Amino acid sequence: MHVHDDPDVESAELAVRLVGGDREALAEMYRRWSPLVHTIALRALGTREDAEDVVQQVFVAAWRGRATLRPDRGSPAAWLVGITRHRVADVRTQRYRAHRNLQALATEVVTEPTTTHDSDWAERLLLVHELERMGDPRATVLRMAFIEDRTHDDIARTLEMPLGTVKSHVRRGLLELRDRLKEVERVASD
Amino acid sequence: MSHPTDDELVDLALGEPVDAERSAHVATCDECSATVEQLRRTVRLASGQVSYAGWQAPDDAVWARVTAEIDADDPPVVEAPEITTASPPGETAYDRRVHRDGARRPSRRRTAAWVGALVAASLVVGLLAGRAIWSPNESGSVSQVALKTLDTRQREGEASVVRAGDGLDLNVVTDRPLDAGDGYLEVWLINADGKRMVSVGVLRPGEADTFPISQALIDQGYVVVDISKEQFDDKPAHSGDSLLRGQLPA
Repeated sequence: MHVHDDPDVESAELAVRLVGGDREALAEMYRRWSPLVHTIALRALGTREDAEDVVQQVFVAAWRGRATLRPDRGSPAAWLVGITRHRVADVRTQRYRAHRNLQALATEVVTEPTTTHDSDWAERLLLVHELERMGDPRATVLRMAFIEDRTHDDIARTLEMPLGTVKSHVRRGLLELRDRLKEVERVASD
Repeated sequence: MSHPTDDELVDLALGEPVDAERSAHVATCDECSATVEQLRRTVRLASGQVSYAGWQAPDDAVWARVTAEIDADDPPVVEAPEITTASPPGETAYDRRVHRDGARRPSRRRTAAWVGALVAASLVVGLLAGRAIWSPNESGSVSQVALKTLDTRQREGEASVVRAGDGLDLNVVTDRPLDAGDGYLEVWLINADGKRMVSVGVLRPGEADTFPISQALIDQGYVVVDISKEQFDDKPAHSGDSLLRGQLPA
């Protein structure tokens, strides 16, 4: 009766269960998405200790703020990434304050941790994740179109697929990825 | 004139040929041009070279910290016993959607009734227990808590803090011997902040054991009793594999 091999349907179910207060849904979300959250935090903050603190905070915040999850928006991954961006920003603010306090105490030069300050990182990694979980052939079509920068004609020939089908995958896929980014934006601006 | 379709906006964002009248509209419409810009940004972000060395999972102990912190601010209510029933006639489509992955979850209404009854019951028990716990008693039990499995919240043991001479003892009793597999069992006190934990000792095979602890630990918030399954792997940290847990009352 219910098809479970569509990752979007499964994710939406997980979201409904979490909103309803199901702890097992949180555990499942942790299994699926803690590597995504952790990799983003590690990338942004540079140390495992800080990154793991962020992972802890994100999933605790996800539980406490589960009412703000919108199951109709599809994958909870984007929602978690939005929360992650908040937490990473908090850690950076604390670091900046600690940095200023240190400077006030001593005039030593405090070296900045070597991390990327590219605020797009969270979104880039979310898109990598979304492309990985998106089923084929759509994922392959999108990779060829966006990462390898190949023309639709070229993709259609290589995959032996009608041109109209290639275009349709590109359109639907791009709109889906755009929706994920909008969801990150929504949560991050709360 | 009406807005172009999403498909047409995608084509425009990707530089595909689009009807001239349509693209003229987008140039003068804030909403449409914002959408085109979002789509272009999506392409830029997706096409950027991402030099990451694969996904990196956090340490297993992080999940234990998450559950400890949630337990601390959200004392778990005893779960209703599992009830297997067919959907009652009055159940809505929404209920069925929520519980579609099997009849093992009781219906929401029923759970609410159970939870209500249990909350009321535990309030009464809590009041009675509170009187017993805080009655002046130099050598008796200071506080106690049921130890439950993390997933099904099945009660399988009990921990109590008792006064012993000038210090405190933590007594751990399980209803039946826990399965340590090819490893061993370790007892922890996890801080209510979910960030810190101390090992209080190894639980010997059997059903009861006593560990010396200090009032300072309790005062500092180390109040979540946790029994974990550990491997002989030379890693002193918590494995993340908790069997039973319970938070001592404040």
